[in-house]
Amino acid sequence: MAKRRSPARLVVALSIAAVLAVFLLYTSFAGGATPSLRPSQLADHPGEVSLAGRVVGPVEGDARGSGLRFTLRDIDGTATVPVVYTGSVPDLFQVGRHVYMRGELRNGLFVAEKDSLVTKCPSKYEPKES
Amino acid sequence: MPELGRAALVAALGLILYAVVAGGYAALRGRRRLLDSAANALVAAFAAAGIASLVLFAALAARDFSFEYVARSTSRELPMGYTLAAFWSGQAGSLLLWLLVLTGSASAAIALNRGLVRDVLPWAVPILGAVAAFFAILLVFVASPFATQAAPADGAGMNPSLQNPYMMIHPPMLYLGYVGLTVPFAFAMAALASKRTDERWIVATRRWTLAAWTFLGFGILLGAKWAYEEVGWGGWYAWDPVENAALMPWLVATAFLHSVMVQEKKNMLRVWNVVLVAGAFGLSLFGTFLTRSGVINSIHSFTQGPIGLWFLGFIAVVVAASTALILARMSHLRSRTRLESLVSREAAFLYNNLFLVAFALTVLWGVVYPLVSEAVRGVAVTVGAPYYDFFAVVFGLPVVLLMGIGPLVAWRRASLRSLGASLLWPAGIALAAGSALLVWGAGSSPAGLVGYTFGAFVLAAIVLEFARGTRARKGLEKGGWLAAFTSLVARNRRRYGGYVVHASIVLLLIGAIGIGGFSTTREARLAPGESLAVGGYRVELLGADERRGANAQELRANLAVYRGDERVGTIAAGKNRYLAEEQTSNEVAIRTDWLRGEDLFVIGDRFFENGSVYLKVFVNPLVNLIWLAGFVFVAGALVAMWPDAREQRRLAGRLAIARA
Repeated sequence: MAKRRSPARLVVALSIAAVLAVFLLYTSFAGGATPSLRPSQLADHPGEVSLAGRVVGPVEGDARGSGLRFTLRDIDGTATVPVVYTGSVPDLFQVGRHVYMRGELRNGLFVAEKDSLVTKCPSKYEPKES
Repeated sequence: MPELGRAALVAALGLILYAVVAGGYAALRGRRRLLDSAANALVAAFAAAGIASLVLFAALAARDFSFEYVARSTSRELPMGYTLAAFWSGQAGSLLLWLLVLTGSASAAIALNRGLVRDVLPWAVPILGAVAAFFAILLVFVASPFATQAAPADGAGMNPSLQNPYMMIHPPMLYLGYVGLTVPFAFAMAALASKRTDERWIVATRRWTLAAWTFLGFGILLGAKWAYEEVGWGGWYAWDPVENAALMPWLVATAFLHSVMVQEKKNMLRVWNVVLVAGAFGLSLFGTFLTRSGVINSIHSFTQGPIGLWFLGFIAVVVAASTALILARMSHLRSRTRLESLVSREAAFLYNNLFLVAFALTVLWGVVYPLVSEAVRGVAVTVGAPYYDFFAVVFGLPVVLLMGIGPLVAWRRASLRSLGASLLWPAGIALAAGSALLVWGAGSSPAGLVGYTFGAFVLAAIVLEFARGTRARKGLEKGGWLAAFTSLVARNRRRYGGYVVHASIVLLLIGAIGIGGFSTTREARLAPGESLAVGGYRVELLGADERRGANAQELRANLAVYRGDERVGTIAAGKNRYLAEEQTSNEVAIRTDWLRGEDLFVIGDRFFENGSVYLKVFVNPLVNLIWLAGFVFVAGALVAMWPDAREQRRLAGRLAIARA
């Protein structure tokens, strides 16, 4: 019997090619990925980014008005950046918490996107192990 | 008491290590009695893990804060139900639950397949033992639930977002799913190690896989319901890394459940199947790792500790060992049959597998992308919901279409003409439904419109299949339509249970598109007496009040709901301030209207001194179909799983031939 290539291989190869094509299309057109940074890295990355850090007081202003103002510090560092945020404030938000949000740096002030603030669960419930 | 718990864990570890060593030696040398003894050691380890679990439950019930674990996750004010559920709210308890379920299911799987394990798959015992050993080592040396301290006056309490009835059921469901996947994995690897690569390992573990997959799927939906009610942002699935962690093994297990049918029927895809089962198991370990390591920013990342490295190491060992084993046995896995036509049932299964696995891999890529980009470019880049949504549409819609086509295609080689004839009616119905929806105004979301059309196609195909089968049975047997219908399902539970599961996926699709594509939202700050109109409803703030609940101060905005001029009800949305935990959590108001098939969903976002409240209001159409889908899914899976004497006899006959 003549040795015939199994069509299964063809299907697999074609599908992988199709997947790669879709992937390339997606990454070139849709974007949607944002770098997530610490306050100390902000200066090097213009445009929209995610920012993670620890909340430093005082927390002033109104998130439903002109904006909530506070400072964000590197989780393990000293660099800080002032932040202004509008929108929903998560229940767990308070000074000392680790939070992250999207936004961009404008003239030294990090302007957060509306409703983008997320808090990480406080470590109180599982103390950090050494 | 803590000594008893610790001793039980040490005993479990010792027994498991014995099972690994003695079982491995017995498998190597073909010592049946030693193998039995190793299997019995696993049963004893299950008992020891049971004793350890009882100790932990007793400590929780007594609120014995001299147990660090109890003090860390409960408080005096915490209601008893949540106090007991704290068993799996923390790390050490979760690991203990893993060990308990794993030793239990390993013992049961071995006992139920005693003859097979003894004669054909002896390696199943040491492999199951090796997985259990990992968890026992963690519990004894790294994260013990029985660490003690001088008892503080009160515990730290439970994270408020965990204080929800779903907390009692969602995590155990997921663990049953994750752990259940260990059994088919171990049997597959045992088949490779023992060079018995026929489909017996698949037949023996089919129901385990089904059960694990059902638990996992149902657990994911319970988590979604929990998030919808408790996290309260108006959605139900957010592509959070930890949600994805459960979705990935579920997708791969779904692919596996389909492709094993090809191996049973046609003896094809044998390499593919062992790769899939190893992948599903690896991903379930990866899921536990993600939940427990805090390596990726997520609202779920509770902890950062040494446990992450242990998991990573174990995953690496599992992946390396199974890859090596598969490569070493490649010559045994070559199939003698091959795909005859690209239009056949087996080809349809193959396409469905490729889409499901591709989707699982893109989700995996999205989850690890922050780590990869951090390693490569120095900056962690997160991919957002648009990435996942895009691929859910690209890979999900073809899978839905295949759910309608696949069951109508003949095995081996289908003629396009006969396929066209059987697709005529479903396709006609789908096009009619799609056009009707377009006229009705559903075109605002093109992907949604296509999804609904495909959904109608699948439902029509399923109903026609049931109708055709019932008519054929009625012709063969005496009795009415109902008798013919039950006889039809009873004679082929797997097939018709599968159809019911397919229908549940369509329900899920309809609900997901409903809330994703057609929900409306508005937000505003209201003073008492003011109102906000959203999607046919008007919500009026009556006033805000505060009362003392069981363990929290409850802040509520009381709202009157109007449709047109008619007042249809009163709801209260607000926040709970948990006292012991010093935390606040949103308590959203949800008013479900079954007749209209939609939810009015209100978040009391901020309460002001002067009595006004900032509200966010959503009208979510069809979201309840998502929850309904969960029950239909379980019902279908139960039909497919139900013991079937006729099938057992058929298999016994076939296996006897295979062995001869």
